[in-house]
Amino acid sequence: MFAARCRSSIRLLSPALFLACLLAVPAAWGGGVRSADMLAHTCAGCHGTGGASAGAAMPTIGGMEKIYLVNVLMDYKKGLRSSTIMGRIMRGYSEQEIAAIASWLADRPWVSTDRPVDGSLAHRGELIHQEFCETCHGDGGRGQDSKSPRLAGQWAPYIRYTLESCRAKGLSCKTRQGAERVLDLDDADIDALAHYYESQK
Amino acid sequence: MTSRTIATKTAAIPAIAQPPIERSEGSEPSGSISRRRLLTASGALLTAATLGIGGGLITPSRVRAQSSGAGPKARVVVVGGGYGGAIAAKYLKLAEPDIRVTLIERNPRYVSCPLSNEVLSGERDLDSLTFDYRGLSRRGVAIMGDEIVAIDPDAHQIRGAGGARYNYDKLILSPGVSLDFAAIEGMSAELADTQIPHAWKAGPQTALLRKQMQAMPDGGVVAIVAPPNPFRCPPGPYERAAQMAMYFKHHKPKSKILILDAKDAFSKQGLFQAGWREHYGDMIEWVSAAGGGAIEAIDAKSRTLSGAVEDFEADVINLIPHQRAAQLAVDAGLTDDSGWCPVNQQTFESLLAADIHIIGDAAIAGAMPKSGYAANSQGKVCAAAVAAAINGEAPPATSYVNTCYSILAHNHGISVAGVYELKDGNIVSVPGAGGLSPADADARTRAMEAEYAIGWFRNITSDMFT
Repeated sequence: MFAARCRSSIRLLSPALFLACLLAVPAAWGGGVRSADMLAHTCAGCHGTGGASAGAAMPTIGGMEKIYLVNVLMDYKKGLRSSTIMGRIMRGYSEQEIAAIASWLADRPWVSTDRPVDGSLAHRGELIHQEFCETCHGDGGRGQDSKSPRLAGQWAPYIRYTLESCRAKGLSCKTRQGAERVLDLDDADIDALAHYYESQK
Repeated sequence: MTSRTIATKTAAIPAIAQPPIERSEGSEPSGSISRRRLLTASGALLTAATLGIGGGLITPSRVRAQSSGAGPKARVVVVGGGYGGAIAAKYLKLAEPDIRVTLIERNPRYVSCPLSNEVLSGERDLDSLTFDYRGLSRRGVAIMGDEIVAIDPDAHQIRGAGGARYNYDKLILSPGVSLDFAAIEGMSAELADTQIPHAWKAGPQTALLRKQMQAMPDGGVVAIVAPPNPFRCPPGPYERAAQMAMYFKHHKPKSKILILDAKDAFSKQGLFQAGWREHYGDMIEWVSAAGGGAIEAIDAKSRTLSGAVEDFEADVINLIPHQRAAQLAVDAGLTDDSGWCPVNQQTFESLLAADIHIIGDAAIAGAMPKSGYAANSQGKVCAAAVAAAINGEAPPATSYVNTCYSILAHNHGISVAGVYELKDGNIVSVPGAGGLSPADADARTRAMEAEYAIGWFRNITSDMFT
């Protein structure tokens, strides 16, 4: 199973991860290779069972695109993505373990939030979305790829915090296309956008 | 300013401050007294009428009846439906639906200790911390309302307070802590219920402590007596001081909070002390053990606490007793001289009895603190080990995490995180990972961490109860 994971990684992941797979020493942890279940279950205390968050500041991560998750988690580990706590936690895992966690999470079903959203706020957000965001976050934020996470059905407070952080960071915020657009948004725009995405299931 | 006060006291205290701490930590005679008390308390029998959980009460005989026919793969009984036990039951069922999992819990509802300090500030009520077991029921876990009072490891059988007997192939205990009232002279379980609440198990005593704070005149003094290590929720007493101060700041600003500690250092100390000063000035004063803070006796009538050097008078006393593993584990011979349960830290199987696993606060779990998140993480590791054993497989390689948030003010949260691995049979921190919120974090980070504390609570309780 471990070999299979590495094979798929070779095709899809960075050269660094490829190297990590080649150099993997299963006995390094003293108890053999830690299963994806074992590793990923520790996320649930903050992100909910199967990565389906019960809200509201923590994002739902189950069902997100695998390579996107790998990139974000690796950026936390390397200190390339700012965080309050995720950097401290991801430094505890090897690159191949992060790939295993990402695979496991990507295999979970996406679970959208189940709370009602202010309709007029969401409508205002939809207009902003169409103008600025639909190109990369297609299908009302349902689309996702290695650079664009799913936004539809995500917790609005999380989206709001993330966009505010991105705006404060400026053009160095990943991705640059996203940062350029977020810089043009005021607080009310961000709030409306966040509610629009949460309203999309 | 606080540190100056402490420094003065430290200077005034000669070396005699030390021995009482050692004595109080290892004071064995106290054990038998609190054991008797707790046994009396455990004699209180829950009636079936109080146990309207989920799809109705499943009686032992009905469980046995279900086992005729195809039969389950194995019978696993989990005792204690808190941060460890609820998770072990759920994740075992998720991993192996063919295992019959029964969760035995004495209370029909669970009241969370984490976030219960917010009841003291008035930020939330106990209802918001209260959960039932219907979600676990829906996942196929049989929920049994009973209080387990005896364990027979040889017969693989446990006994409920009313005489019901439950057989198991594997037993998972997540029994929590017992409180050693006798370690402080003059203290008792009765006093805790009526006058000197510990509020270290969230519930009526939390409400009582809040009431006492509300009744206290402006300018009064609250004394928090903090216990020696190890104990449940290491940052808890210090977050509690902040939450109390949040209430006093707006309602009784001349009041003081005195933390009288059996220790010379505590969890997230620098972050707490900086946060206290920032939000509450010199309202909170911490007195270390070396500074005379180790309390040996209490006179409840005059509300006086006696330390090695001086006495402290207070209007409200929150005495958090010394702790060890729950009485059930002590009585079953599952504890060692430390008062806690030694376990194989890969499987959480007791080192003293086969087929009995112990998780959460009661267990000795290497570098992991006694916290809700640690119990959650251990519950999952234990469930995987139990499933493997039932399937005749080797125990899986393990991974553990802890995260503890503390809320100091509306927009001020701090955290400590740990990532752990097994090394030579011991749970140790992964080098380079984990640690504290930065001391120089900006206001936005502090505000985010306060939000994350609430999000953590929502998610970890959803992991337990849905």
